[in-house]
Amino acid sequence: MLKRLLHVTPSGAAGLAFAAFAFLVIPALAGKLWLSVFISTGCFVLAIAGVAFMYARLGMVSLTQVGLMGVGGWVMLRLNHAAGFPFEVNLVIAALVTMVCGWILALPAMRMRGLYLALVTLMAAGGLEIIFATYQFPNGGEGFWGVKTGSADAFRRPWLAQTPEAYLRYVVAFVTLGFLFIEAHRRLWPGRAWALIRRSEAAAMAAGVNVTFYKMWAFGIAGVLAGAAGGLLAGSLGLLDDATFRASESVMLFALAVVGGARYWLGAVIAATLYRILPALLNNWGVDADLAFVIFGAGLLHAVITAPNGIAGQIMDLAAGLRARFGKGGKP
Amino acid sequence: MIEVDKVSVRFGGVVALAEVSAVFTQPVSGIIGPNGAGKTTLMNVFSGFVSAAAGRVVCDGEDLLRLSPHRRAHWGLRRSFQKEEIANDLTVFDNVLVQTDRGFTGASARRAEVARLIELVGLADRADTFGRDLSGFERRLADVAKCMAGNPRLVMFDEPAGGLSIDETHTLGTLIKRIHAETGAQTLVIDHDVELISEICDETLVLDFGRRIAFGPTAEVLADPAVKAAYLGTEEV
Repeated sequence: MLKRLLHVTPSGAAGLAFAAFAFLVIPALAGKLWLSVFISTGCFVLAIAGVAFMYARLGMVSLTQVGLMGVGGWVMLRLNHAAGFPFEVNLVIAALVTMVCGWILALPAMRMRGLYLALVTLMAAGGLEIIFATYQFPNGGEGFWGVKTGSADAFRRPWLAQTPEAYLRYVVAFVTLGFLFIEAHRRLWPGRAWALIRRSEAAAMAAGVNVTFYKMWAFGIAGVLAGAAGGLLAGSLGLLDDATFRASESVMLFALAVVGGARYWLGAVIAATLYRILPALLNNWGVDADLAFVIFGAGLLHAVITAPNGIAGQIMDLAAGLRARFGKGGKP
Repeated sequence: MIEVDKVSVRFGGVVALAEVSAVFTQPVSGIIGPNGAGKTTLMNVFSGFVSAAAGRVVCDGEDLLRLSPHRRAHWGLRRSFQKEEIANDLTVFDNVLVQTDRGFTGASARRAEVARLIELVGLADRADTFGRDLSGFERRLADVAKCMAGNPRLVMFDEPAGGLSIDETHTLGTLIKRIHAETGAQTLVIDHDVELISEICDETLVLDFGRRIAFGPTAEVLADPAVKAAYLGTEEV
């Protein structure tokens, strides 16, 4: 069983190689502005991994992932300014609080199928948007909401990662852990239960799978990842802006996860690249960043019409084809 | 022993099952009837996907209808669906392993059991194949292995021979007959194929328009004029 758990597929090997590249090379090459873009990209990769896995493995559509990132970010900032815990402790608490919030928001929809979860989570995202816009994110002020006017208090970064370069590495390490966490689940009994739920809830029940419990479990994982992603994002600049966490961003994130390819790690990376790096590139070139929306739209049409497994699915198919052709064998 | 006691099901104004009673005691029993007779509804009452308006289903002293669907599976209820439900992104092995995931025996014992069952249904060389790469018959065989895993007590098949060739149906029938000897579970088979039913079932319940029209040893039941009338129609006088 351990052998199955630790088995490295070609796609997994490519993922680990990319993680090593992102860990070692990118921080060394990127300038200050791009470092912050890459850090935020990394955070969104983690959040996208959560929604994409739920969609690909269980067929569940969550439209509140960015809102949940906001919850994680809020808790992270609140703890930073209110308590003297180390960064990592705050991050774990932020992730767990986000998980519980996600459960509370999604609980009414867990027993229902299909569209209901999407609708309920979209409403939750709308509610969170209003809360964030009204109360803003903590910046060291007094009281429960912790907001003051003027400049924010200092944010304590992890002692391992005081510089932006080190912080990018730190984020890459967390993202890699997040993917390994999902993959480990997928290879063990929860993954089997999820595959059956995706096939048919009736079949899953007939096989003894407690459908509501395993859906909650999956939603909890997505919540943990969103919370951690929000917490890490808060650590990037030490403050957060409510405009980042609008409900429309959650919808966009889900759509991009589908465009990128929800079944693969590469899909999450492509989605986050489109979401964060593409607008920055357009800005860099002096083009209106809103052009990115046109590209997203084209990408979505492309995915819906020709690529059910997204861009990553096409790349993986191509790679598998090449491997088969040049005779090294092995399954994708 | 499976005791179906006056089970009634209504969908709005339609009576799908009207006080159906039967006591199945044989290793393999059949349920037959024309389309819309209520066969699948009865099976869905067993699994918990349809609630009975009245009546009880008692198996080995356990009142099944009080348990939630997945708890019935934990108790030992297994079923196949008209369209076999094999997950496409799991291997044959994992598809069968799902059924044992709640077992309290150790992982290696469960894996050995799954391997044995996959071999028993004749899929030993396909154990690592993904569900999406299986043929229709292989999916059906994998489904049978799944139904036999994890100490079943009652296994139900809903039209297992649908879409199979005569040879495949025969192979399947032979397998179904072995379930009791291999696992100790009682088996219920729904099918249109009277030949398959008469080949493998020792006793048979016949339903028509939600009512029991005959129950007893298969040969006697099939010779019953009321059953013939339900299947073939009555002669105009």
